[in-house]
Amino acid sequence: MSSKTLISLCRGNPSAFSAGRRTLATVRETSTTYIPSSQVPISHQTHQKPITKPKLLTSIILNRAPILTPTPTPFERAYYAYQARLRRALSNPFPYDFYFKQGSILETRFTLEERKRERIAFGREFGIADDLDKEKAAANRAAVEQLAEQEGESEEMMARVHPSDEARDYKSLDRKGKRNLYLLLQENEGIWRFPEGNVKKGELLHQAAQRDLLAECGEYMDTWIVSRNPIGHYRPPRKALSTGKPQPEEVAFLYKAHILAGQARPNPETVKDFAWLTKQEVESRVSEYYWHGVKDVLSDH
Amino acid sequence: MSTSLLTPKRLLVSSTFHSQIRCYARKESGMDPKKETIRRSLYPSNIRNKATPTGTWRPDVEKALQHAIPSVQAHDTIERAWLLYKRHIRKRREAETERKFECMRKAMDELAGIDSHLYMEANKPENPRARSPEEANLLKTMKASEARAFDARVRGLFPRELRVPTDTPSRAGWKYDWKPFYRPL
Repeated sequence: MSSKTLISLCRGNPSAFSAGRRTLATVRETSTTYIPSSQVPISHQTHQKPITKPKLLTSIILNRAPILTPTPTPFERAYYAYQARLRRALSNPFPYDFYFKQGSILETRFTLEERKRERIAFGREFGIADDLDKEKAAANRAAVEQLAEQEGESEEMMARVHPSDEARDYKSLDRKGKRNLYLLLQENEGIWRFPEGNVKKGELLHQAAQRDLLAECGEYMDTWIVSRNPIGHYRPPRKALSTGKPQPEEVAFLYKAHILAGQARPNPETVKDFAWLTKQEVESRVSEYYWHGVKDVLSDH
Repeated sequence: MSTSLLTPKRLLVSSTFHSQIRCYARKESGMDPKKETIRRSLYPSNIRNKATPTGTWRPDVEKALQHAIPSVQAHDTIERAWLLYKRHIRKRREAETERKFECMRKAMDELAGIDSHLYMEANKPENPRARSPEEANLLKTMKASEARAFDARVRGLFPRELRVPTDTPSRAGWKYDWKPFYRPL
């Protein structure tokens, strides 16, 4: 084990960004190089057989899934417009006389709008009304306006950007509708981490995860733990106790959960503050060692 | 005979741009105009000497195509650019999925090394129809509305409340007040 870490250190770290199983296998070894010198994990360096099993913890990644669809990029919009033009050029003539009664206002409105769409798609030479004098054209437009007034205003859509986005309200669950948000808690000492807790005897891991989540963040959330399987694990760095004996090993198994309704009301005894953050914001608040243990489990988008 | 079948039917609406639509159905005298319209749309043109979806181009199809497509090379370049863009997105998504799966795999290996009982339990497949005795007891004591909410969350399946992303958010926004509802695990 120790020789492997030495080799990975010599090899350097160029492959952190390229895909491939071989490079992913070195993530665990390289994560140990980020430990600050004050906290030395004793487990990996020495060849001692673990006498006792490590203490089990469960940690919950509570995710608010995206509410909004992603915004199309300019390239996507241009491509879709191009494909729409092609489809319009190649499709059958529209049987408007089947769908609209001859001479009705709806037909007039449809014709006006369709001509506009043709001009937008192909250019100024298309969508020209044939044999229509100016008075008739003006009368048609007036009739269409009257129809729009009669129908009334259509339902206004809500804006995609919520006020809490501008206000930078990190507790709001309406913020950043397009992104995945994760719940992060701040301990009384000021360290940011995901909700965590112990595993009792005789309890299964996913049951412990549910219980820990309720204990740390309150019951006023409708949560759903996705599966019985953990999605990752994190080994916190071991600190030597004042008596000189090493603390027992701890392993925290990460479980994924979704929040469907409600808000977190964290337990004030253990937790000072909470926030709903995107992946980049989590990186900025959490310690470097913790980030390297946890980053691959979060969604980029 | 064929000429009478193929005579184009000229339409009388003035403010349109498609002034001629050919159709197959023969014009019958003394026909109700509504029925005539329906017949014409049921039996579209039968000229199949061109490769079109259902047999009829728009009358100015060549001109429209010239305005739509800049050139053959431009069209090919656009297609290739689009496929390349989709490939980039796909590769990024696949890399992220692979990273997440590796984390899962390593976590399960770790768990197998630590505690075999917990490992076996974590690997057990969920049975959606199974109901623990605790749940059965709870169901007896619950009201009808609560029982419905209870049934909506089926073990091993996605919850009904998990919403699909939409283009604009809902008017009410996020539901912040949710009454706690006990669900045994």
